[in-house]
Amino acid sequence: MKVLYRKLRRGIWSNRGQFFAMALVITIGISLYVAMSNTFSNLGYAQESFYNDNNFADHYFHVVHAPEAVAKQIASIPGVEKVTARIQQDVAVIKADGTRASARLTSYPLPLAEQVNSVALKQGRLFEAYPANGGAEALVDPSYLQANGLNLGENVEIIAEGRQIPLTVVGTAIGPEFVYAIKDLSSMVPDPKTFGIFMIPLNQAQEAFNLPGQINQILVVFTPGADTEAIISHIQDLLSPYGNLASYPRKDQLSHSLLDAELTSGRIMARFFPIIFLAIAAGIQIVLLRRMVRMQRLQIGIMKGLGFSNAAVLFHYSSYALAVCMIGALCGSVLGLLFSQSLNQLYATYFNLPNVEGYHYQVITYSFLLAAAVGMVAGLSGSAPIVNINPAESMRSQPPSKSAHNILERLPSLWQSLSPLWKMSFRSVARNRMRTLVTVGGVVAAVSLLLISFFMNDAIDYMMKQYYQKEMLYDYMVRFDQPVRSSELLAISRMDGVNQVEAFIEIPVKIHYNGRTVEDAVNGQAEGNRLKTPFDSEGNPMAIPEQGIILGEITARKLGAEPGDLITVETTLNRGEPIITELTVVSINRQLLGSVCYTSLAQANRLLHEADVVSGCMLLVDPGHSSTIEAQLSDITGINSIASRQKEIDNITSLLDSSMLFVGIMIFFSLILGLAIIYNSIVMSYNERKKELASLLTMGFTHTEVSGLMLKDTLIQAVPGLIIGLPTGRWLAVVYISSVSTDMFTFPVIISPVSYVLSLLVGLGFVLAGYWLATRGLSSLDMIEMSKYVD
Amino acid sequence: MAKEILVHLQDVTKTYIMGEVSVEALKATSLDILAGEVLVILGPSGSGKSTLLNLIGGMDRLTSGELFFRQQALHSASNSELTQYRRDHIGFVFQFYNLISDLTSYENVELAASLVDDPLSSAEVLEQVGLQERLDHFPAQLSGGEQQRISIARAIVKRPLILLCDEPTGALDYQTGKTILELLLEVNLRHGSTVVIVTHNAAIGAIGDRVIRMSSGRIAEIQINASRATPEGIEW
Repeated sequence: MKVLYRKLRRGIWSNRGQFFAMALVITIGISLYVAMSNTFSNLGYAQESFYNDNNFADHYFHVVHAPEAVAKQIASIPGVEKVTARIQQDVAVIKADGTRASARLTSYPLPLAEQVNSVALKQGRLFEAYPANGGAEALVDPSYLQANGLNLGENVEIIAEGRQIPLTVVGTAIGPEFVYAIKDLSSMVPDPKTFGIFMIPLNQAQEAFNLPGQINQILVVFTPGADTEAIISHIQDLLSPYGNLASYPRKDQLSHSLLDAELTSGRIMARFFPIIFLAIAAGIQIVLLRRMVRMQRLQIGIMKGLGFSNAAVLFHYSSYALAVCMIGALCGSVLGLLFSQSLNQLYATYFNLPNVEGYHYQVITYSFLLAAAVGMVAGLSGSAPIVNINPAESMRSQPPSKSAHNILERLPSLWQSLSPLWKMSFRSVARNRMRTLVTVGGVVAAVSLLLISFFMNDAIDYMMKQYYQKEMLYDYMVRFDQPVRSSELLAISRMDGVNQVEAFIEIPVKIHYNGRTVEDAVNGQAEGNRLKTPFDSEGNPMAIPEQGIILGEITARKLGAEPGDLITVETTLNRGEPIITELTVVSINRQLLGSVCYTSLAQANRLLHEADVVSGCMLLVDPGHSSTIEAQLSDITGINSIASRQKEIDNITSLLDSSMLFVGIMIFFSLILGLAIIYNSIVMSYNERKKELASLLTMGFTHTEVSGLMLKDTLIQAVPGLIIGLPTGRWLAVVYISSVSTDMFTFPVIISPVSYVLSLLVGLGFVLAGYWLATRGLSSLDMIEMSKYVD
Repeated sequence: MAKEILVHLQDVTKTYIMGEVSVEALKATSLDILAGEVLVILGPSGSGKSTLLNLIGGMDRLTSGELFFRQQALHSASNSELTQYRRDHIGFVFQFYNLISDLTSYENVELAASLVDDPLSSAEVLEQVGLQERLDHFPAQLSGGEQQRISIARAIVKRPLILLCDEPTGALDYQTGKTILELLLEVNLRHGSTVVIVTHNAAIGAIGDRVIRMSSGRIAEIQINASRATPEGIEW
């Protein structure tokens, strides 16, 4: 058997170009599998253990405010394992340079360890309820500390109840509810410069907000197997005297839902992309082995004649595929683990999770098993014709390849107009059906992947354009701590450099319809506002109705509500009693992230039984005055947050660089796939037709004409592949987006014409490059040797 | 009237370098090939007969000496000039036919016809070789003899001045071999092409105007036949 091993080694060496191309495709497939599976396993494990270690809540209840003691009542309900009652409130932060940020001030009863949604200390020490030297201590999230150049021991200044309160930073910590730390769904990515998580003891929060002995949130962990629905409704009954503002399960918690969406899409990609590469590699191997078996018919006959069994010969030829797959698995695993390291780091910049690291031996094991399975399937099906080779027959020379009339010949006028060289190409492509199928399939896959890669770029582009050039046209958005009279805006409009001020009000609400309830926000826009515009599903801007409401698409879907329906809106502002109003749905708007319902400022005021209140405004300013205006706004204590559109764009753009790297890698891999398939297909065709090509040269055809024949072969297969690849790529993008869409995130598949053109051009590029690589040997084709060559 | 000299070889040698060994396949050979003659080159394997044929056909380059086609110096011609020479003046017939498997009989002939400005009619040529009923057949559907006829049709459709045949009957049975030789002589008569037949089969020498016997890379003997025998009349 040593001899067979040597034959195997030499066989691979003499076809090294083709085997190398295949090993490369398998390497890419396996490396994608390993990189993504390993990273998403890391992310999944990190999520699970972080949640367990810190008692991540199963359910959240928000109230206006309730006595702390209500926690004990809830804890006594059977099925409730843990309860934490706390205060959580978004506050304005005044930074050392006078500019504004905002923080989610979250409080914790002590001792911390057993609390629901406890935190993990990263640096420094835990806060104390009553620090020895007075004042209040806080933990902040590490990203905020780093982004703002803070040091432990320094103060952060928050505004609560109109007072500026210093908090001493004693450490950094992360919590399971802040893994993806964004303020709300309207922020696409974390912006730690302007939004942080501040953690303080409950008693300090009660003091800051002037709520002694009170809380505004209840977090619950259920015992496994508990009847959660009954418990939730029981707790809601208990809390109803305190103003039930919101109640939602873990799956609707902002950070968790976004992390889960990332894991879901990651796990889909970890299967989807490798399968494409491995399937194409298997296809090429089958075709290559079949050809090898045909060419080595005599050798196989001799081996069988010598007494090797069918199984032994079959195994020998299968081991070509197996060997290539194992080489691919080895290189792919190493490369995949390296990619995984970078991906881990990439995720670490987005997600505050401890220990997103490590190598999972089972991922490596699976990658080898996967490669072995591909190798065995491709090997056995490629070598299957061995069984039918009869030793005696194999010694006879083979008749010319059987060609046949093809489908194009049914159009005689077209067929007759073709030159004999085109006829040769069409017949050759039709005769080698399996090879043609694999080649066309490979080109389709490569072009679809290219289009999907470009689409990812388009998606980000579209989102940025839609968001920042169509929906939001303001320079600054200012939000107040609580609704104020619209006359308060006068001071802002009089600032130097402020060109336009548009008022709005945001009211948290519950919308009821048909027995269903959705928590949402109503955005009331003043008449004539043009700095924030809703868009319909067709991408057209919508006018804000004076009466009635424009529902967000996701909310409308959840409620099953349509234009014309009468819905019930219940305000959940954390002051006063909820107010219930019936409104007619005027139309539905599409929001890429989250959901916003629009109405007029006047109608929104009526929801609150008010006449003239606003909760914020949008500004257009002279670019030269930006920083002075920002500084002046920061001095107004009643302002909760100041969002700069330009800073948001800059932040997103800086984070997108890493995504662009991923897109770049995918384009590169698609190119390799396309190149490998075209190269292999042409080399196979070239090797099979060497004799015919030599005979064309002998007849007097030039080298250019003969290589033109090979180009014709290539184009006949590649052009349909390139064309079919475009709709296939679009279809895959639709499948991909619908499989990763969630309640909070949906996306229209909009692919720019440039992306189609680029995919075609890059596709044509790999076709021509593969053709060039494969036909370099043509100039050294030996006419004399080939003219005597017997099949 | 003296026949025109189509090809003139003067002290032509051909040496192949095979690894560290150099093999002198053709040694200082001089020869004239005349328009319209049937020339049979005889010799055992390795005698240099195929090398000579390949040099005449512009398929290979000589190592030293001079080779002219009419006034054109083929020994110093560029690759594209050699290609043009093969295209315009040479027809090849091989032992193993070398047909294009993806083209029908008719299309194989058309392929060659497409190379020149004024070819013969493909259909007529196929009729001449007796395959008018098999125009739409692929090589795999034809017998060896039929494939060789297609290969002759393909060679003559270009109206070549010289038809070079390398062991044209080598892969065929006795009777089929004879019909192929008859066809070659008919081509010579009908189209006036010079026919050069390379073979190891000495009996075939009788059908030529001249017979060249080769041995160890040299022309050992040139024999002029007073009259050409018919293929029917020879035995092997």
